[in-house]
Amino acid sequence: MNFSWLRRSPASSLPGLVAGLSLIILAVSVFAVIYSEGAGQGLTVDWAPVLSVLKMTFFQAGLSTLLSMTLGLTLAWSLSHQRVFPGRGFLVSLLSVSMVMPTLVAVLGLVSVFGRKGWLSQLADLFGGPGPGTFVYGLTGILLAHVFLNAPFVARALLQRLDRLPPDRLKLSASLGLSPWRQFCIVEWPAVKTSFYALSATVFLLCFTSFAIVLTLGGSPAFNTLEVAIYEAVKLEFDLARAVTLAMVQVLVCAGLVVLASSLRNDDGSLGVVSRVSLWPAPVGARVLQVVTIAIFALFYISPFLAVLWDGALADFGRLLHEAAFHKALVSSLCLATLSSALTVAMALAIGGTKRTLGSPLRVELNWGSRTLSSLLSFSGAIYLAVPSLVLGFGFFLIARKLTADVYLLAPVALLLANCLIALPFALVILAPAMEKSALRYDRLAFALGVRGLARWRLVEWPGLRREIGLVAALSFCFSLGDLGVIALFGNRDFATLPWLLYQKIGSYRTDDAAGIALLLLGLTLAVFFLVPKFFDRGGDA
Amino acid sequence: MLELQGLSYVYQDEQAGYLFDLTAVAGSIVGITGRSGAGKSTCLELIAGFLRPDDGTLKAEGKDILHLPPEQRPVTILFQKDNLFEHLSAQDNVALGINPSLRLNQNQWSVVGQAIAKVGLAHLAKQKAARLSGGEQQRIALARSLVRNKPVLLLDEPFSALDSETRAEMLLLVREIVTERNLTCLMVSHDPNDCSQVADHHVVLKDGRFHLGSEVQAEQRF
Amino acid sequence: MNRIIPLSVIIALALGLLQSQALAKPTLTIYTYDAFAADWGPAPGVKKAFEAECDCQVDFVAMDSSIGILRKVQLEGSGTKADIVLGLDTNLTDVAGKTGLFSPHGVTSQNSALPIDWSSDLFLPFDFGYFAFVYDTNMLANPPGSFEELAAMKGDFKVVIQDPRSSAPGLGLMLWIKEAYGDRAPEIWQKIAPKILTITKGWSEAYGLFLKGEADMVMSYTTSPAYHLIAEKKDHYKAAAFTEGHYMQVEVGAIVKSSQQQDLARRFMAFMVSDKFQSIIPTTNWMYPASKTALPAGFASLYLPGKSLLMDGIRVEKNRKAWIKEWQAAITK
Repeated sequence: MNFSWLRRSPASSLPGLVAGLSLIILAVSVFAVIYSEGAGQGLTVDWAPVLSVLKMTFFQAGLSTLLSMTLGLTLAWSLSHQRVFPGRGFLVSLLSVSMVMPTLVAVLGLVSVFGRKGWLSQLADLFGGPGPGTFVYGLTGILLAHVFLNAPFVARALLQRLDRLPPDRLKLSASLGLSPWRQFCIVEWPAVKTSFYALSATVFLLCFTSFAIVLTLGGSPAFNTLEVAIYEAVKLEFDLARAVTLAMVQVLVCAGLVVLASSLRNDDGSLGVVSRVSLWPAPVGARVLQVVTIAIFALFYISPFLAVLWDGALADFGRLLHEAAFHKALVSSLCLATLSSALTVAMALAIGGTKRTLGSPLRVELNWGSRTLSSLLSFSGAIYLAVPSLVLGFGFFLIARKLTADVYLLAPVALLLANCLIALPFALVILAPAMEKSALRYDRLAFALGVRGLARWRLVEWPGLRREIGLVAALSFCFSLGDLGVIALFGNRDFATLPWLLYQKIGSYRTDDAAGIALLLLGLTLAVFFLVPKFFDRGGDA
Repeated sequence: MLELQGLSYVYQDEQAGYLFDLTAVAGSIVGITGRSGAGKSTCLELIAGFLRPDDGTLKAEGKDILHLPPEQRPVTILFQKDNLFEHLSAQDNVALGINPSLRLNQNQWSVVGQAIAKVGLAHLAKQKAARLSGGEQQRIALARSLVRNKPVLLLDEPFSALDSETRAEMLLLVREIVTERNLTCLMVSHDPNDCSQVADHHVVLKDGRFHLGSEVQAEQRF
Repeated sequence: MNRIIPLSVIIALALGLLQSQALAKPTLTIYTYDAFAADWGPAPGVKKAFEAECDCQVDFVAMDSSIGILRKVQLEGSGTKADIVLGLDTNLTDVAGKTGLFSPHGVTSQNSALPIDWSSDLFLPFDFGYFAFVYDTNMLANPPGSFEELAAMKGDFKVVIQDPRSSAPGLGLMLWIKEAYGDRAPEIWQKIAPKILTITKGWSEAYGLFLKGEADMVMSYTTSPAYHLIAEKKDHYKAAAFTEGHYMQVEVGAIVKSSQQQDLARRFMAFMVSDKFQSIIPTTNWMYPASKTALPAGFASLYLPGKSLLMDGIRVEKNRKAWIKEWQAAITK
């Protein structure tokens, strides 16, 4: 692979290559450690329960994806047509929150609203109707939670696509008098098709590797996903052989899914400007559907937030804030989140930078070498989807056992890495296109003037990327803050994060404390998610 | 003075190649026209140093410059768009022509100020480049070419997006600068009228090679 | 004058140092389950009582379940900080013994109140109870009287139970059904499965769900209603009497072999079967004390099972894994 003579030194691509390679080595080592543990134990594998867990994981993920995508698409369509109503802006910006919300907080909110003694049930009692019953547990509960967390995000992404439809197409379909269904088939669906498929793959993988939701709402080994099964095998049964089998199956299946999914290219995010065309009013039927969809969704989506607020407001914060365990967890969570946020941004910039170098004919001679490296880098960014939290945690646990007796020393490192890995795919999706755009736009100019290195970063890249960097920092902070994954394996009295503390409180029937912590987590998440990007963006467009 | 001798280039996925032979003298503007996709930008990119030719020589002021990276070549190039970094101010953009890290001394900053005044935009010096109009942006880019003091000026259709009145103004400004500083200027355009307006010579790029303007016109009469 | 100040500072520091040395009492770390270590559980009372006579500091560390205690010690291995584990039950003593992580408790005589003969060098009983499904008489007029009846309950009847892999009541329930039904156990589980709301990892979570009203019955102890009666003055919680008989639970404590405080730990074991500890148990842990002690008045009204079931630990350990697999398969269908 030839570095074009324009770049005198490949040094600037080195961080990205190192980062990408390290991630791949990490994944391979984890897999190797798990495999060797299994080989060492002389696996006599009982495949039946493993296969049934695998089947359930697929089934649950498939159903969740179907429901989330359908609802997401319908909602996006409804919102793109209903452009003016009170609170629209608020609802749309709230859609992004479901992605970053701590899963346990979402679970608490959902149970408060949809549980047997929840709001919906009380409402039904008022009207003498049947309540939701025990709908919020078991498979239905898992589906509900998955839809709650994924559909809004899908809707937001698809809405963005629909907003960028060239206004001419809409005007054309209006003048042709197309029915809403025809318009959807001919104009709107093609515009969102590629995104839809790519999003489906992502949502499927997220549901496939789901842990916290299945742990808390599943309620029975019958509904376990592989991740939860691994957790139970290690923590409950101390059956390492079983854990090894499950982990290997998880990695192989996930890696296969990732490879399959990567063939679904996600097209570049920002094409064109938001069209502010006010569309001709559609026939009544369509409008009713849109309004009803939005109304029901808004109710279903906002009420758990309100429930968390309500329950949390009743908590005894005075006592909670004085509890030593709470302090420790808070400090741990904040430190971890900050570190993982910084690490994620650094890695995303490094990998994104090297990726765009490898993709630009101005910088590098494009040949099979550059293409292979580029694919490897892309894969490294998506490592998490192949080696999810619990597998990673389990791998670290085994490594720790081999090296030292104290398993818990490695815990913070494992946590940090896991958090970074979770956020990295999203970080790259946000940063990589922006970096590529910047290069496409300014490479010639920069090379002609000799603006490079630190000066290039300071004068050209940073001003152009600060908004995206802010978003990535906020996103990864929130992911880390709300994560219940590796910590479940390693959490103990000395080392806890807020979500783990929350899980403990729920488990020991300290519901007031739990509500208080949930409110705090939600508040922190919202604050960071909405304020940090603004902070980065300050003076950006002035 | 700029000499291209047997400068050849073939794009990876294309069959036909380009072969450039051209000599341009100082103080003159050579207009280059041709069909879309004929290779006009390729020629300028070779001269500027973004592409490496397969064969041939390239000399400026008699010295071979092929081995030099873009920022060291005695060449200033203006693109069709993205000539300025949009987050920087006009004067910062111009200042980059003197020092790519924006570390300038008093004298250098005053040179920047003079250049901006020369293109008539002293009142917009501190504006962010994104806020300037198309014409204003290209003028600032021209100001930067002034401070760079390079003997060769390459223009890759920088005025094609402007309205005819502004375009005429810009062409006259270019003419003035070229004459004043005795620059060698190659100007690519898809509009032959630009050439007739300010160019001293006119070549047409056809089939990957330069032909004299008058030659082609003669052909077309038949 | 100038020399007095630094001198007094030095003396103060020295005194402070001596003080802190004197205050450095040995710490006894006890791993136990969440309900025991909670503020409303036995832990505060036990801590106060023992610290008064031991000149030491007692530190309770809570795990999220009773089996979790064993798992934690297994995970930590010889580097564990625990001196004592408190809260395993007889179903686990065989496997716990095999880990080799525990040392003899050294208590030779105990005024045992256990309805059965049970003794072990390593594991010392401190309380016992009977498993039963607890319900609210205000919400449920006709509770089921057996597992078959439970499976046949109509409507949206739900019970919440615990995971046998992590929770002692969970394991107790599984063994209860196994002991009562033998080979028919998987069939019973399959019949019950649709009535299960959720399977929690620990007792507290399950009980909390029940109290919140999410389920009609919860797997708990015959003594749970005593809490509501004595502490809350509520008498509408009752234990359902099952015709199959009720499985027993005997809870034990043990000394961790790698502990640096073997003497102190043995003193605690002796303390544990003494009246000072045992009298705390009924109204904090809501179980029957293992040594003969006076019971509070409310306990008299509790349902005492006619038939008590208990498997011996060796049989449990031999078959536990297989039975859990059987349970999983039955539940998953």
